[in-house]
Amino acid sequence: MHTLVELLNVSHADAWELIERENQGWEFYFIKHALDQNRVRNTKTIDIKVYCQLEEGFIGSASGCFSPSLSKEEYEKEIAQLIENAKLVKNPYFKLNEPKEGKKQDNGAVDVSMIAKDFIETMQEVEETKTEDLNSYEIFVDEVRVHYQNSNGVDVESVYPSSMLEVVVNARKEDHEIELYRMYHSGTCDKQSIKEELANTMRYGKDKLIAKDTPALQKADVLFTTSAAIDLYDDFIDQMSGAMKYRQISNAEKGKPIIEGASGDVFTIKAVPSLPNSSMNQAYDAEGAPIYERVLIEKNIAKNFIGSRQFCYYIQEEDTFIPGNYEVSGGSKKEEELREGNYLEVVEFSDFQVDTFNGDMAGEIRLAYWHHDGEVEVVSGGSISGNLRELAKNMFASEKQKQYNNYKIPALTRLNDVIVTGITRNEED
Amino acid sequence: MKAPFSSYLNDLIEPLKWVRDALLKEYEYVSLLASDSVGFALRISQRAKSVSNQTMTTERGIVVRVMKDGLYSEYAWNAFDPNKKEESLEALKRALEAQYAVLQSTQTKVYPTPTIPDEPCELFVEMETEQLPETTDMSKLIDKLVKLSDEGMEKGKNMLDCNVVAQSTHVSKLFLSKNRYLRQSYVYSEGMLAAMAARDGRNEMSHESLSGRCGPELFDEFESHLDSVLNTVLEVLDSTRIEPGEYEIITSPEVTGLIAHEAFGHGVEMDMFVKERALGKEYINCRVGSDLVTMHEGALCATDVASYAFDDEGTLAGDVIEIENGILKTGICDALSAVRLGTKPTGNGKRQNYAHKVYTRMTNTVFDSGEASVEEMIQSIEYGYLLRGMRSGMEDPKHWGIQCIIDRGYEIKDGKLTGKVVAPIIMTGYVPDLLGSISMVSKDRETFGSGGCGKGYKEWVKVSDGGPYLKAKARLG
Repeated sequence: MHTLVELLNVSHADAWELIERENQGWEFYFIKHALDQNRVRNTKTIDIKVYCQLEEGFIGSASGCFSPSLSKEEYEKEIAQLIENAKLVKNPYFKLNEPKEGKKQDNGAVDVSMIAKDFIETMQEVEETKTEDLNSYEIFVDEVRVHYQNSNGVDVESVYPSSMLEVVVNARKEDHEIELYRMYHSGTCDKQSIKEELANTMRYGKDKLIAKDTPALQKADVLFTTSAAIDLYDDFIDQMSGAMKYRQISNAEKGKPIIEGASGDVFTIKAVPSLPNSSMNQAYDAEGAPIYERVLIEKNIAKNFIGSRQFCYYIQEEDTFIPGNYEVSGGSKKEEELREGNYLEVVEFSDFQVDTFNGDMAGEIRLAYWHHDGEVEVVSGGSISGNLRELAKNMFASEKQKQYNNYKIPALTRLNDVIVTGITRNEED
Repeated sequence: MKAPFSSYLNDLIEPLKWVRDALLKEYEYVSLLASDSVGFALRISQRAKSVSNQTMTTERGIVVRVMKDGLYSEYAWNAFDPNKKEESLEALKRALEAQYAVLQSTQTKVYPTPTIPDEPCELFVEMETEQLPETTDMSKLIDKLVKLSDEGMEKGKNMLDCNVVAQSTHVSKLFLSKNRYLRQSYVYSEGMLAAMAARDGRNEMSHESLSGRCGPELFDEFESHLDSVLNTVLEVLDSTRIEPGEYEIITSPEVTGLIAHEAFGHGVEMDMFVKERALGKEYINCRVGSDLVTMHEGALCATDVASYAFDDEGTLAGDVIEIENGILKTGICDALSAVRLGTKPTGNGKRQNYAHKVYTRMTNTVFDSGEASVEEMIQSIEYGYLLRGMRSGMEDPKHWGIQCIIDRGYEIKDGKLTGKVVAPIIMTGYVPDLLGSISMVSKDRETFGSGGCGKGYKEWVKVSDGGPYLKAKARLG
């Protein structure tokens, strides 16, 4: 790093950023509980971004990602090339972050082997039955070390654990077998949480075996009770992104409502420096800015834009950072209230998505519970769709919150009058 | 010109052969894949511009695969100093020994796997390209893209922005095992032109993409896409939502490609057969589509972003007929899955990059052409939609469900396009029903290779897919 800092300081760059990322990663792949393959990753990448002052009010920049195998001469050549490229890319001027003290994150020492062992043992202890079991799983455990420096004197380092567990669960009845897919992100291994999540997944698997076709409801209230709800709240968070605002994709205005004409619950959304065992608990962001608590939306009123230094500078939002963790306040309802009347509780999507550009949302239903007239039918197939910006006007959520890695959101969220494309074939049959 | 093979990798050949030979004293199987891929990514819009040397596949690093007592293990790193190869070898051994200790302490059982056949093969391929990303005149290219974005803003209505993305990558890979010594170098490029517009508080976007196994000369084609992108975004701004239901549809080649990819692309990746995760395994030689459905998969079956000479396990590229006249014939397979299944690999073992594991992955997945014209197909529909533009899709190999999010649909009534547009559209259904309903196939055929393909929600690789226009029945919402 010292050599690179020296090279950058003597280069013709007017400003620069340097990020060194090191990953010590352990991976284990299992089929049933037999080890398919084990892997070690020992990688280091070096990101360099150079800036050149152009005409008054403008700055050029170019970035590169390099391997540590480059020689000093090769780095000199690459930096010179970046500077040439930077002169070709004209953007409005902005300032890089200045040194500032961040809140310390106590991630403790990261012992990759111990965390990996915890994951392996946890998966070995998952309760399986003759009809519900684990098909396969993949364990990824990383110690991540990020060292950021820039030409303004920022020099900060974060070290944290980052883990991922991918699990495929099977359930079967006679010759019929189904699967459910799960991916969990966390800092270290949370044994209890994984076991509970997988027990629920196996219950869903059992239900999927008896699922009927989703009826052609045309429209229905939809209850989100899983991590898919993150995508709903992410759309509000994206509205408060400095980049989205500068690019005119976000229509949010400070002091004005995020959801115009809201008659449902209103939410307060904060960026927070840490959440228990989140894989995103870092003291500084990728641009060397300290991460702290910041209210983005307060009771549906836009408060603060947030995000990368460049775009926040353009919209005159000072003192910002790129958040890692978010907390959404609970809503006004108790679970029983959210479960009143007829509603479709979707617990498995193929891939639920909300388009940040316009709020369009869609997802194929892999498993849902159609609660109607005092009965509950297990259904599968078809899709839900609609525009979240419209549907959010009448959105309700539980007081109780639930954490999914780096998001703490209401445990239940209900949207009214969502388009439900069911399967008409069965009705005709 | 030929895309020259990396001089960095050339310098590693002998030191890596030394590492291989040292490991062969302790392991039953050893292979090494070293990659050195360079490129650029340009993002031009009215609001912000950026230039970077990083694309989805730029990388420099090495991965070693070893096998002992039926267990395959890998070590990936990118700080290899040929003058200190002994240190790298020791670090590798220490790291794997540490993992074996944890596996022993947890009494982990191994999924026993035979040795990968290591048939002798030597190959050196430098593929043709007109230009190289590393020697492209960036000043000229950036000027051209900035002018294109400016022209889009001038010509378009209700425009928020006009974005242009241009990426080009020069891939070099070296594969070494006891009996195989393979080197390849090729260039692929991809671009995207997007119009973003807003009216009455509604934001919409349309985009068209370019791709090819070629150099940055590809970006000369951008100009010819501008008018249609600008027209499309206005159509989408005027669009309404579709009434949910089952309709007769015509899929444009881009949507056809999405179906190919999600239906019997992921559905016949044979690493999923090993885990009993794909229904396709039980349907080999069974009907899964109408007689009009023939589908190819392979790095050799089209020339696009995934058209390489060998895969990341040193298997030579192939061209597999997955579905022939509606009958599922075979799947695609990586080398490790092939030895487990007792079959042959098809050249589909791919990694996101050197640091990631190999999975069975798609390359080019393409429906064959038919005899109909698009006009005849439209005329044959009483009420339905012509579907254009893809946003995303999701596989479901175990249950053969399909989810495709499609940009827009053009209403067809009594054999004619009415001018009404619906957007966006989510198409769902049961794959054999969808493929079984294909009743007309057009003569033309295109492939698309922009963007990436994940397995589940990770492991992103380059693929292309496509085909002709298809007439079918589908559930739209």
